[in-house]
Amino acid sequence: MDLLRVSSSPHIKHEDSTRVMMTDVIIALLPALIWSVYVFGFRALTVTLLSVVFCVLLEGGYQLLMKKPVTISDMSAAVTGMLLAFCLPATIPMWMVMLGDFFAIILVKQLFGGIGRNIVNPAISARIFLFVSFPSAMSDFSKPFSYASPFAFVLSAEETDAIASATPLSQLKNGVLPSDAGIFDLFVGNVAGCIGEISAALLLVGGLYLMIRRVIAWQIPVAFILTVGAVSYFFPQTSFPLKFMISELSSGCLILGAFFMATDYVTSPVTHLGGVVYGIGIGIIVCVIRIWGSFPEGMSFAIVIMNALVPLIDKFCYKRPFGWNPVNAFQPRRGEIK
Amino acid sequence: MALTFRGGIHPPENKNTENCPIMVLKDPIYVRIPMSQHIGAPCIPLVKPGQTVKKGEMIGENKSALSSPVHASVSGKVLRIESAINQNGKRDDYVVIENDFLHTMADDFEAHDEKISDISAEEIIDAVYKAGIVGMGGATFPTHAKIKSGIGKAEKLIINCAECEPYLTANCRLVIERPKEVIYGAKILMKAIGIRTGYLAIEDNKPEAIETLKKILKDDRLISVKVLKTKYPQGDERQLIYAMEKRELPQGKLPADLGFVVFNAETCAAVYNALSKGQPVTDRVVTVDGDCIENPGNLLVPIGTPFSDLINFCGGYSRTPDRLISGGPMMGAAQWDEKAPVIKGTAGVLALSRDTIRREHPDCIHCGKCVSVCPMHLMPCYFAAYSQIGDYESCDAFGIKSCVECGCCTYVCLGNVPIIQHIRIAKGKLQQKK
Repeated sequence: MDLLRVSSSPHIKHEDSTRVMMTDVIIALLPALIWSVYVFGFRALTVTLLSVVFCVLLEGGYQLLMKKPVTISDMSAAVTGMLLAFCLPATIPMWMVMLGDFFAIILVKQLFGGIGRNIVNPAISARIFLFVSFPSAMSDFSKPFSYASPFAFVLSAEETDAIASATPLSQLKNGVLPSDAGIFDLFVGNVAGCIGEISAALLLVGGLYLMIRRVIAWQIPVAFILTVGAVSYFFPQTSFPLKFMISELSSGCLILGAFFMATDYVTSPVTHLGGVVYGIGIGIIVCVIRIWGSFPEGMSFAIVIMNALVPLIDKFCYKRPFGWNPVNAFQPRRGEIK
Repeated sequence: MALTFRGGIHPPENKNTENCPIMVLKDPIYVRIPMSQHIGAPCIPLVKPGQTVKKGEMIGENKSALSSPVHASVSGKVLRIESAINQNGKRDDYVVIENDFLHTMADDFEAHDEKISDISAEEIIDAVYKAGIVGMGGATFPTHAKIKSGIGKAEKLIINCAECEPYLTANCRLVIERPKEVIYGAKILMKAIGIRTGYLAIEDNKPEAIETLKKILKDDRLISVKVLKTKYPQGDERQLIYAMEKRELPQGKLPADLGFVVFNAETCAAVYNALSKGQPVTDRVVTVDGDCIENPGNLLVPIGTPFSDLINFCGGYSRTPDRLISGGPMMGAAQWDEKAPVIKGTAGVLALSRDTIRREHPDCIHCGKCVSVCPMHLMPCYFAAYSQIGDYESCDAFGIKSCVECGCCTYVCLGNVPIIQHIRIAKGKLQQKK
């Protein structure tokens, strides 16, 4: 008889793994992607595919070069690629996508130690990097149903000018309710914007799918959305508070951020209470930037700022162990949380 | 509505043997009986090589410390007393008896014919000690000590028939086939401790057992059936008490301090057999299952029978096993030797293949699933992280001493981290420092 393996209990394992979770995230993002292809043409699809493939190649290549175990089968690089593509306008030059992928996978994720060790969300950080480095390219939003060429590496200036449009958020920033788009259009996604950010409805469907599959918990998205709703209702920048609140909630990358970016496991707190604090924090910062800051969209900065605070949140928002007296449970803990 | 606790997991139940009646495995060719089958001091052998022993004869005892005597499970000749490493990794003495197949019974043990109300508590405790009864769910705490610690403090008794581990159905079959032994045994224990309220706690995935019990206990004034939601680890004492009364057992205290005393169903049956038939602990029910066993089943096995005898009785291996486990798959100990003996705490023998577990590339992704399933409400990801860098003081500050090593965290870990292994290392190091 062969040798027996003498390993520690438990001897069975739930079949869920990082790969199963990440595959679920990709499935949840597909409805929004299909809608985006309908509204922006096949360039939305080619940009997304390029981003996914390049991210996977970068991660695999780095791990081979550094003689580490190759973990691209856990699909986390693919999800980062897809989420980054969703934050970009469809007119973006392909080389900018690749540069953003490099920033996300190599600089933010792998150089910090690979999966589980990054401090900030890679896709969001890459978006900020591209936005700060190439502000005009990142704001070249095309009108809905004006299709840019799918395979052009860089779109010519005439093409982008011909299809340019302002986003609903920039209109809200200027104190005007989006004129050419009613609330329904905003929600469903007949508006200009980034590839993955136009259809709040389909992204909500994806978010609900993730909650049903128990990939994410409801605490972070609900805390975040309620906070944004409350602040935008009580500090409206246009004439009708309720309309302003609903416009704010269904435009931009709010739903994408709430269900797909803020809930990223690595950069969010470990306990549910911590998640609520985290969600409220993101909500407040998003509203502050949107209403009083100079950018129309504050999601990326809000998430990155709260990511940096997660170790502190984890330090204070722990659970009381079973059978511990509350007085003993809430003593300051020794040791630094990493 | 079924009672339950917060946290926990629901692994695939795999109760493949819940309809398999208990079969008797008699006459192993030899038995190897260890001197330490319980929590407490090991017994000292009372027999010598070459001596003939009868079934039920006491072959080891230790009167000087907390202990429980061991008995010969077959009649025959003592071949040798050998020293070997036991299932917990410690060195122990094994009395090897060669079966003479004569089934000669020892008669140093009296049966009691009186009614339960006429036996005194001291007599019960004495009989329970002499019979070598320990917790047979796997914890193996000497039962006579538990009775003594409950007198004056405990007001409620719980018969633990939860059997929350996957695969195991020994308690379930015992309760279906011999419910009176379990119930009368519990009543004897209640008389010894002085309790008038008893609960039989059973999970809701055993409908046949629940029906049988509800019929028998319909008009019983002492014991009632409590159905619990099927979740692992419902069988843990703390979670049982919480499910019954929503009270948390404080850290460092025993159930008796909250007024409860918990006994496994098979322990109760052993108490009944000890008092009414004069039978010490010489056999126990073991579930043999796993995806590598040809014909899984429940067997009544003499203590000291090697695992290989049980596996051969069940048709042998259907495929090459990766692991051979004593107990359940969540908390059982992996064995390196097919000839390991069945002891008082062996509730199951499982042969599992590699398909049930994969642990490549462990990497904590900070998902928090371990935190949400921990029944003790701890943060296992941090224990693993601190243990890996050697910071055991932080583990202590976060409450690693409250960890019961149930394995829920490691079962769900998305990053494949062997959390329990890190926790055990940390606990070991903290223990050494004391």
